[in-house]
Amino acid sequence: MPDDSNRIEISDVTFSYEVTDENSSRAPRRALDGISVSIEKGSYTAILGSNGSGKSTLAKIIDILEVPDSGRVVIFGKDAGNDDLFWDIRSHCCCVFQNPDNQIVGTMIEEDVAFGPENLGIPNPELRERVDQALKDVGLYELRHRETMALSGGQKQKLAIAGALAMRPDILILDEATAMLDPVSRDEFLELVEKMRIEKGLTLITITHDMTEALRCDKLVIIHKGKVAMEGTPEEIFMSDDLWKYGLKRPVKFNYAFEIARLAGGKLTKEDLRSDESLIKSLAKMLEKPGIKVPDAVPDEGKSTGGKDIIMSVKGLTYSYDGGDTKAIDNINLDIRKGEVLGIVGDSGCGKTTLISHMNAIIRPTEGDVVIHTEEGNLSCSNKKDTMKIRQKVGLVFQYPEYQLFEETVYKDIAYGLKKMNIAKEDQKDLIFEAAKKVGLTEKELDSSPFELSGGQKRRAAMAGVLVMRPEILVLDEPASGLDPKGRQEMFAVIKGLRDSGTTIILVSHNMDEAAVNCDRICLIKGGKIRAEGTPYELFEKSKADEIGVQTPRITRFSAMLKDELKKTYPDIRFEGNYFIPEMEALAVVTAVSRAGGGNAR
Amino acid sequence: MLDKISIGRYYPAHSFLHETDPRIKTILYAVYLVAIFMIQEPIAIAVLAGIVIVQLILAKVTPGILWSTIKPMLPLALFIFIINVFSIRQGDVLFSWKIITITGYGIGRAAIMAVRLMFLIVSTSVLLTLTTTPLKMSDALEKLFSPLKIIKVPVHEMSMMMSIAIRFIPTLAAETDKIMKAQQSRGADYDTGSFINKIKGYVTVLIPLFVSSFRRADELAVAMDARCYRGGAGRTKLNPLKMNGRDVLTGILFTLLAALVVVIDFSLR
Repeated sequence: MPDDSNRIEISDVTFSYEVTDENSSRAPRRALDGISVSIEKGSYTAILGSNGSGKSTLAKIIDILEVPDSGRVVIFGKDAGNDDLFWDIRSHCCCVFQNPDNQIVGTMIEEDVAFGPENLGIPNPELRERVDQALKDVGLYELRHRETMALSGGQKQKLAIAGALAMRPDILILDEATAMLDPVSRDEFLELVEKMRIEKGLTLITITHDMTEALRCDKLVIIHKGKVAMEGTPEEIFMSDDLWKYGLKRPVKFNYAFEIARLAGGKLTKEDLRSDESLIKSLAKMLEKPGIKVPDAVPDEGKSTGGKDIIMSVKGLTYSYDGGDTKAIDNINLDIRKGEVLGIVGDSGCGKTTLISHMNAIIRPTEGDVVIHTEEGNLSCSNKKDTMKIRQKVGLVFQYPEYQLFEETVYKDIAYGLKKMNIAKEDQKDLIFEAAKKVGLTEKELDSSPFELSGGQKRRAAMAGVLVMRPEILVLDEPASGLDPKGRQEMFAVIKGLRDSGTTIILVSHNMDEAAVNCDRICLIKGGKIRAEGTPYELFEKSKADEIGVQTPRITRFSAMLKDELKKTYPDIRFEGNYFIPEMEALAVVTAVSRAGGGNAR
Repeated sequence: MLDKISIGRYYPAHSFLHETDPRIKTILYAVYLVAIFMIQEPIAIAVLAGIVIVQLILAKVTPGILWSTIKPMLPLALFIFIINVFSIRQGDVLFSWKIITITGYGIGRAAIMAVRLMFLIVSTSVLLTLTTTPLKMSDALEKLFSPLKIIKVPVHEMSMMMSIAIRFIPTLAAETDKIMKAQQSRGADYDTGSFINKIKGYVTVLIPLFVSSFRRADELAVAMDARCYRGGAGRTKLNPLKMNGRDVLTGILFTLLAALVVVIDFSLR
């Protein structure tokens, strides 16, 4: 059978990683286990799967960065097993990886873009022309003589795209390329990529944990334990109830739609999922049908505004780095109530990290102050004598804390803070076990090396290292970033457990969906200033959200569309507020419809 | 802030020295290195200072940038000065108490040592790091040392390694800062305690830093592989090094000036 020159054909590929540790008795880790995938030229495919499912390995196989142990890889009719075609195939396939910093070779922007074509031996003036064109395509041409390190995360990923485009590839692979970006940069990045796909006729393969991102694709491939578990169009895949088995979730709006359908006693079809319009239409139709049970009461999301006691006050805090004129944060006043989950949201570079670094005196206030109110009296972050007490009371977990583990065992790593606080050895054990339990680490994991754990477990180990000091306030900077949907859910369950046991939590996030669900109160920061503050319900109310310029959660945006549609049928319908958990919002909408005379009343 | 460290940092600007061929700058650097260590007379040092000021102006380096380059090295210069003051015992004794003896000659020598160090730093910065991007510098070194390829010295690979190392300095500095902050918030204290304790404190910073450097190295290697990097053979250059008359003239002129400084110095001895 001749090889199809319009497809990427991966047939029965097996691949194992060698275990480099000599003392380890473990067998080579099998990443791909007889996988077969076929991807059409010019298509947009998403490869989904939980962490460690083998999806990144698959990408490396396509770019021949790894050579399969067995099986056949044919890229557009060229057999990757043929050594003569090796460079030919690789030069037509480009990758953008997750961490922007670890794929930049050049110090200057144009030098970095030129790296790929230089390797291909493209002579001038074509080389110059390619570099300039690629920079213009991604909108970095004006900055071409700047330093790469001066770019923001989003710009660095665009630079990586330019570096790929300059090689004039047929295939572009995005390996979790948006995982470290904030929502605004992520949307910009994805739009750029789609534009390039159409303009340059690229075959686009994206590996992602973001299910809404996957909706943009023509085809989804779900990998589980090195095999293809499911394959199909997004609407086919998201019809399935099995996603959770593979550590994945439906996009929020589908969860919501399916819940409405369940409450209304209807059934959604594949066609309904194809577009927002068709989904809204069939949901509205479903709600018009008689036979809907009226729910007893409007649900309660269990939000509290916390007690009245203030546990921490930020007063007139202003800070600029290196004594410069640009203020990283500017006159921040904020009270944190005992027992609440306070969300601090805002785009990258808005000053969130600077603010939280003040909260346990990692940055000492130069103007204004942070005061912690404890039973033993007030502690001030500007007072050097209080520093150690404050660091015990206020635990701070930075983003990607797992990169900071260093001890031989998880147990010892967790004990680090206790040693620094001069806690007696015999008292340490109980505290360590308590902290491990809070984050859900087993005794076996405590004895293993932190570097052997999976990503999600590593992060929990790092969190336990902070929790072991029994902080009253826990500040978490993007605790779920980079985790797969299941890992995220587990992380938020841990956070909820901490909150229920009385810890006050400050959650820094740029994900509005998660902030809305998990926070009692949200504080929006823009350009170093507090732009708005209130419960998620107040903040994401439409007119308010428009006024302060905040992107509302996806569920709210989608639900608003449905509500508008329903208003056409029931002009008197009244919706009581927004809920952010899809099931609750669904219940609220169905309740409103039945009260307005839909469903049974017909 | 560690990420503002400016040793080894490139200063983006358009200046005479920025546009000078990096090979010339590298050779000039070697010439000035020799000159700095040959001279010891104050007048010669003053003349050399004048030349360096001219170079700074030609590189459009502002006093602020110059200061941030020198600042981190001041403690070292001071250390060298003090050690030399105490250890040189020739000349007229100015002050003597138990084992401590300070001589006028000693102070003079110590000052020269400290000044040499400052010259070393300024010359490295103005001729190389501030005005030459790491990639250009590695191009220059690759070209200058290319005769060594005959005896199988991997010149291209070495220059590539160097430019990547420099490119990652700010990244790793930022990472160090992050790790230190995380450990500080877990009760680490790097500023107080005995010297041994401070050293121990830094070990816990270095381990995660090493681990992450290896991880970064792995990822970068894959990314370079994906961009078809396969060593120096067959590579082209976006901005190939071009030496013109002006570059050669600059090289000759500054070499002569360095020679002049040395001659002045020797004639004064």
